[in-house]
Order: sequence, then C-alpha cells, then structure tokens
Amino acid sequence: MAAPAAPVSAAVPSLAPEHAVVWPPRARQTLANGLEVVLVESHTIPKLTGELYFRSGNSSTALYAPGLPEITSAVLRTGTARQTSRQIEEDLRRMGADLGAHAGADTSTISFSGLTEFTAELLSLVAELAQSASFPQDEFERERRQMLEGLRIERTTPSFLAGERLRKVLFGAHPYAVVSPTEEQVEAYRLPQLVEFYRAHYLPANALLVIVGDFKSPALLREIDRIFGGWIAGEVAPPPNPALPAVHGRRVHLVHRPEAVQSQILLGNRAITRKHPDWMRLSLANSIYGGAFNSRLVMNIREDKGYTYSPRSGVHALRQHGFFSVSAAVRNDVVAATLTETFYEMDRIRSLPVAENELADARNYMSGVFSLGLGTQDGLAGQLSSVYLERLPEDYLETYRERIRSLTADDVLSAARAYFDSANAQIVVVGDREQIGAQAALFGDVDTYDAQGARIP
Amino acid sequence: MSQLHIPIESTTLENGLRVVVSPDRAVPVATVGVYYNIGFRLEPRGRSGFAHLFEHMMFQGSENAGKMMHIKLINSSGGVLNGSTHYDVTNYYESVPSNALERILWLEADRMRALKVDDENLRNQRDVVKEEVRVNVFNQPYGGFPWLDMPPVAFRNWPNAHNFYGDFADLDAATLEDVRQFFHTYYAPSNAVLLMIGDLTPEEGFSLARRHFAAIPAGAPRPSADVSEAPFDGERRGEVEEKFGTLPAMAIGYRAPERRTADWCALAMLDQALHGGRAGRVHRELVLEQQIAVDTGGGIQYPVGDLFDYDGPTLMVSRLFYKPEYSSDQTLAAYDAVLDAVRQHGIQPGELEEVKVKFRSDYFASLEGGHGGYIPRYGLMHYLACFTLFDGDPTLVNSILGGFLDVTPEQVRAAAQKYLDPARRAVVLRQPSKKAVA
Repeated sequence: MAAPAAPVSAAVPSLAPEHAVVWPPRARQTLANGLEVVLVESHTIPKLTGELYFRSGNSSTALYAPGLPEITSAVLRTGTARQTSRQIEEDLRRMGADLGAHAGADTSTISFSGLTEFTAELLSLVAELAQSASFPQDEFERERRQMLEGLRIERTTPSFLAGERLRKVLFGAHPYAVVSPTEEQVEAYRLPQLVEFYRAHYLPANALLVIVGDFKSPALLREIDRIFGGWIAGEVAPPPNPALPAVHGRRVHLVHRPEAVQSQILLGNRAITRKHPDWMRLSLANSIYGGAFNSRLVMNIREDKGYTYSPRSGVHALRQHGFFSVSAAVRNDVVAATLTETFYEMDRIRSLPVAENELADARNYMSGVFSLGLGTQDGLAGQLSSVYLERLPEDYLETYRERIRSLTADDVLSAARAYFDSANAQIVVVGDREQIGAQAALFGDVDTYDAQGARIP
Repeated sequence: MSQLHIPIESTTLENGLRVVVSPDRAVPVATVGVYYNIGFRLEPRGRSGFAHLFEHMMFQGSENAGKMMHIKLINSSGGVLNGSTHYDVTNYYESVPSNALERILWLEADRMRALKVDDENLRNQRDVVKEEVRVNVFNQPYGGFPWLDMPPVAFRNWPNAHNFYGDFADLDAATLEDVRQFFHTYYAPSNAVLLMIGDLTPEEGFSLARRHFAAIPAGAPRPSADVSEAPFDGERRGEVEEKFGTLPAMAIGYRAPERRTADWCALAMLDQALHGGRAGRVHRELVLEQQIAVDTGGGIQYPVGDLFDYDGPTLMVSRLFYKPEYSSDQTLAAYDAVLDAVRQHGIQPGELEEVKVKFRSDYFASLEGGHGGYIPRYGLMHYLACFTLFDGDPTLVNSILGGFLDVTPEQVRAAAQKYLDPARRAVVLRQPSKKAVA
C-alpha cells in the first residue's frame, strides 16, 4: 500500500476562477499537388518552428530492410542538386536555423526552426531537401558507419534493450516489432535503395507541413504555395499491416547484462491508437495509475518504498496499433518486490472504482497540463501535429478539456480492465541473471536473451 | 536587434527575498520558480552529493503540506513541477494554469519557512537518489561523462573538484541534522529569488509575494566561501574506464574567463564557431571531413550548464566519441589542428557574422524554451534568476546580447590565443574496458 497522504491544511488557497483557454486559429490549405499545410501564429519570439512530415516511417520497410527510412533521412541533408553538405550546414547557421531529419515508426520528418527574417530562404531549403536531395555516396558511407557505431552503443543501454524486447514480444511479425536494424542489415544497405525510398515516399500527397511562429498566416500561405507548389504529385503505397501474434499468459523475457548494478523493468500489453474511442479513458486511467508524479505507482514504489527514481507508465499510440507500458529502473534486490507492487496497483485499478476526489484531481491534471502546450511554439507544434497527422477531429484541441472533464469512475474502470491486462502482461527485465533470475521467475516462465538479441539457455 | 523588450519588474522584500515578475497575458499559464543561491559547489565536505539530496528533501513535506501533499496539490491544480541542482543554484519550479498561482506561492512559502522532514523521509530519498545515480551513471554507457569525470582532473579546490552526484558512503553518512543545518544556512529568503512569469500583473505578483513570503525571517547572510582556482600549471590528464560503451571518448576542458567580461563574450563566439552544430569547426573537421570522430559536442559548462548559469571557475569543454581504429594521440592531434587554426588565424569575418546570427537565434529559443515542452518560459525564468542572484540585475536578460554582437574578429583571435592554450587544459580519456562487440 502507498503511504496515506497527509491531510490538507485548511490554509491551502483555493483555486481562483479559470481564465479562458483559447486555442489559436489555424490556417489550413491543401496545395494542388496534395501537400497539406497547417499554420498557427504564435508571437512569443521572432522565430518559427516547423515539421514537414511524410506518412511513411520505419514500418514501411521493416519487413525487408529495417532502418532504411532512418538512414535515408540522415543522408537527405548531406547534399542537393545545388549544394554540398558543408554549404547546407553553413547556410543554416547563416539563417540562425536548426534542422533535423529523422524517421519514426510511422513517419519520416524534416524538422526546422529559425529566425523569421529568413523564413522564405529556410522554407526553400526544406523544399529543396524534400525534392532534390542528391544522396552522395561518400556521405552515405559516413552515415552508415555512424549508424553502426550508434547501434553498438544502443546495445549497451538498458532502456534500449528493454524497449526492443517488449516490442518484439508484443508485435511478433508486424513491422512495429522492429525498433532498430541489426549491423548486418545496415551493412547490406545499398545507395539505390535510399534513393528509391526517397522517390517513392517523399511526395507532397504523403506530406503534412505544420508551422508555428511569428508570421502572418495569409502571407506565409502564399509563400508556401510559391515554394512548394511545383513539387510533383505521386501516389504512395500504404505500409504493410500483417496479423499480430497471440499473447497469452504472463511471461518473463530476461535480457542478461552481466554485472549490471541495477535492473531495468519494462512490462506491458498491446493497447490502442489515438483514434480509438477509448483513447481518452485510457489516458485518464494511465494518469491515475502511473502517468503522473502524483500517480499511485510513483507514490508507492518511489515515495513510499524508495525502489526507484523514475517509475512511469505510459500509453503509446502508433498509427495502426498501440501499447501500454510500465517502466522502472530498480536496485537488484527489489525486482520481485517492484513487480509485486506494480501488479498490485494494476489489479487495484482494475477492480475498484476510483474515488471521486482522486478522479477529480486526475481530470484537473490532464486538462491543465494540456493547456500548458499553448505556452510555447514547440508545444503548440507538437499538439497540432498529432491532430493533423492522425487526422483527428478538427475541434480535437478545443474539446479535449471538456471531454476529459466528462469522464467518470466507470470510464476509468472499464479502460483499466480492457487494457491494463495484468494476467497477460509481458515482463521484460534487463539485468544480471545471476542476481535477478530467481526473482523474475516468480512471475512466469522465463526466456533469456543476450544483449545481441539471441536466445540463451 | 540586440536590445530586447521583455517586460520585467522586480522588488525586494524586507527579509531580503528578491521578487521578479515578467507578465505575458497571451495564454492563461504561469511559470513560477524559486531559486536558492546554493548548488553542489558549496555542499559540505564529507557530504558530497548533499545539495542534490537536499533538493529531494524539499519535496518531502513542510509544516502545512506534509509528504506527498506538495506534489498532489500542484498536479491536481493542473500543473507540473520539478527541481534541479546546478553548480551555484538550486531551483524549484512549477507551471500551472494561472488560477493556481496563489496556491503555488503558498506551497513555496511554506517550504521556505518551515521544511518538516524526518528520518524516514531521508532514508526514502537516499534510496531514490542512489537509483538516480545508478540509472544515470553506473548502469549507463558514458554515464557522467564528462560532467563528473572532468572536475577532479581540471580543478584542485574541493568545491570545484569533488563528485557532485555524491559518493554513496557520503550519502549514507548524511543525517537529519545535516538537512536542518543546510536549510538554515542556505535556504533563507535573503539567499533566494522568487520568479513569476506569464498570466499575472506585476502588482498582483508583488502583492501575493508579500502576503505569503514577507513573514519569513530573513536568516543570516550566506557564509562566504573560497572557490578560487589557481591557473593551470600545465596540461592535466585523467583516464576513466568505460564499462559498457564500445567507442573510446575524450573530453578536453579549457578554463573560461570570468562572466560578463569582454573576453567572456569573445569566447562565447569562439565556442559557437567551434561547437555550433554540424557547421561548427570541431564537428565539421573531425566527423564530416576527416571522419576520425563519430560524434562531437561542446560548450561552456557542457553538458550540464551554459554560458549564463554559473558563478565560479568553469570550463569550455569539447567532447569527442571517436573510432576505435584511431588512437587517442591521433585524435587529439587532429583536434589540436582545428584549435591551432583558430589560434593562428582567428575566424573569418563572414563566419563570425553567421555565428552571431545563430547565437541570437539560440538565445531567443532558450528564453522561450519549455524545458522539454512542459515548462513554458523555463529559460527566461532561469536567466532572470541567474542575473538576479549573480549580477543583481534581472534586466540583463534584455541587454546582454549586445556584448556578444559587438565582438570583433580580432577579439576572437585574441581569446583563442589566451584561453585555448594546450599547455593549460584538462584532458579526460574514457576508454572502453573491452573490445567492441563484433
């Protein structure tokens, strides 16, 4: 049991009346070539921040060349028909700009920010990278080597090893099972594969451009039409979506890391996408269970028992599926105790309706924190991106707080019962099996792996 | 473009608490911070890691808000909170819908006036901190590199040179009496600044500050301490075993000049020319051109602080992760060639202009930046606090850019010659203890 909270002093000032939360208007336009554009003015600083998303990420090639979209995005910025890598980087500095290119599971993204005095030039560079990247062979080889070295270091990182194993267990033969390529797969990349992925997926009808910043939207829309309007349209094949594995019964997946002085626990179940009708309920249930500092799990295993520094639960939405997970890095002698408390709290929220005051606190937390996103250009860009990338209802931001506040104890109970599936939870523990193997085995049959991902006896 | 116009109002209460308000009514959100002018540099000898452990204790209960109530009251108001320990300050901060402003001030005042913790709280947080150190240092590749590895090599005076996260034996030795003593010595209102940013007026902020903080006794002035360091008398070297990571790494540190001097401004421009992203000379030469290194980074107080948030001896640090087929000597020689070039020739006038634009752009982003998106104006709060506590003038936030934008190419070259002296630096090698896994 978590320690009981002390009573609230009568002296605590009550909350003043709320000031209205007003979401800024969006300027939206779809260009003739299919590029979808969303602009929001935010005049906090004389800068803008933007994301050019392509709805094709690592899942698009996971079944034949894992990580190909990631290296494509890395090489993308190293040359265009007009400029060398060095010219591009010095140009960005001259404009006071930052640029990044990355691939996630479902998207490839060119992120950028810079001073508004250079807006047209910065957008022109982004358009150039999206349309006429030249993929120099020597830059590709350099990025490949860097990617290989990065993979080797990832395999020494407990949180990476835990996340990789959980995704494999939950998603089996589905592309979402693969979070990183192997070294052999990286060695096998050939430059024409990158160019082919780029030509097939970096297309305006597959793209979403979100920009937040210190500009006037009508003028910027005209500028964007001028800069991106000549981009040639094209069709994109959807990523594969094979069947998911059946996951029955608790099972332990131990990744052996000899002499580790701490054990990384990560457990979870498959869950839902952001478009699913249960998404809000599940988010609220997660916030009460382990998603906030003030949540039951944090109060129990950190503030009461001192097992861990940063325990958290989270609901993770991918485009086709989603998952729920609980993570905690704990000292080696309390692996079993941590799992016991984690399942105790999971079973408690699945069994007993949450009390009205705890429910009200959690609803306030979620609606308040949501409005903090208004305060920065980055925060706004993040919230807008999830709405338009996932094609959520146009009034999603405006109605979010209302919808959170209408949720009931029954909503929390039903979401917890459906998705905090403790009887079938998959438990990953990364640590030294000599020290934690017996504790882990108390929670299910144990499969053991080494850090390279190979089964070991 | 060098003079900003962020509204800033400040006052000092009779007990010495400084109060700074920066109103911005555009969105109904307020960020509140309390900064104490004490960091890990001045924690007691024999108590390494104590300033950070103490930061944890500030969330463990005060007279009118017992354990867990502080966190619960902020989260249930729709807000988020945290704290962090730096070299010379420790901060506690919250972002909330602005209707919770008074509640936050009441909570901050309660713990400034009467922290109330017991042995069980101390045991609990000692355990939590040990797991924090394990997750960030002992169980991670390159944990603590170079922010924990560099000070004992570069410095000789204990305040600058010790283990800031703490030896476990020192953490175990900490007592409740240490907690009381530290609180009494450093957490007085006269050693702190309260910041309120966002959806409020200055009058409202000052009035709330007086209502909740004015009755807290002033406390004794902070004791003075000698944090001085003699200049480097030669290159200093250290080596640390890397237990997990597969790449060798090194960090090179040069003593930085005193804050708010012309040399400091020049070194900041030089730092941007060397370490400013992929266009920076160190990354460009070692990663992109010669391909000896795989990744580089660097900066003043890198990677745990910046140009503005320190008040004592500090370093400009470069960090290199390099390919195992190169020796440390080869790598350092290639790095030295990059620095030799700026010592001999300075940087091009056009390069300096680019660097200034990027510096200005980064500064704006820092002010607005939400510390990972969840604390709007964290950067503005942080710089207002540092300029108040270290310089006595929060409005430096608006005027500080000018000094950097005035730097000339000659000043950059002079600063390179004066500060980037290979005979006066610290080098830490972080060598993998096993071969890279094939």
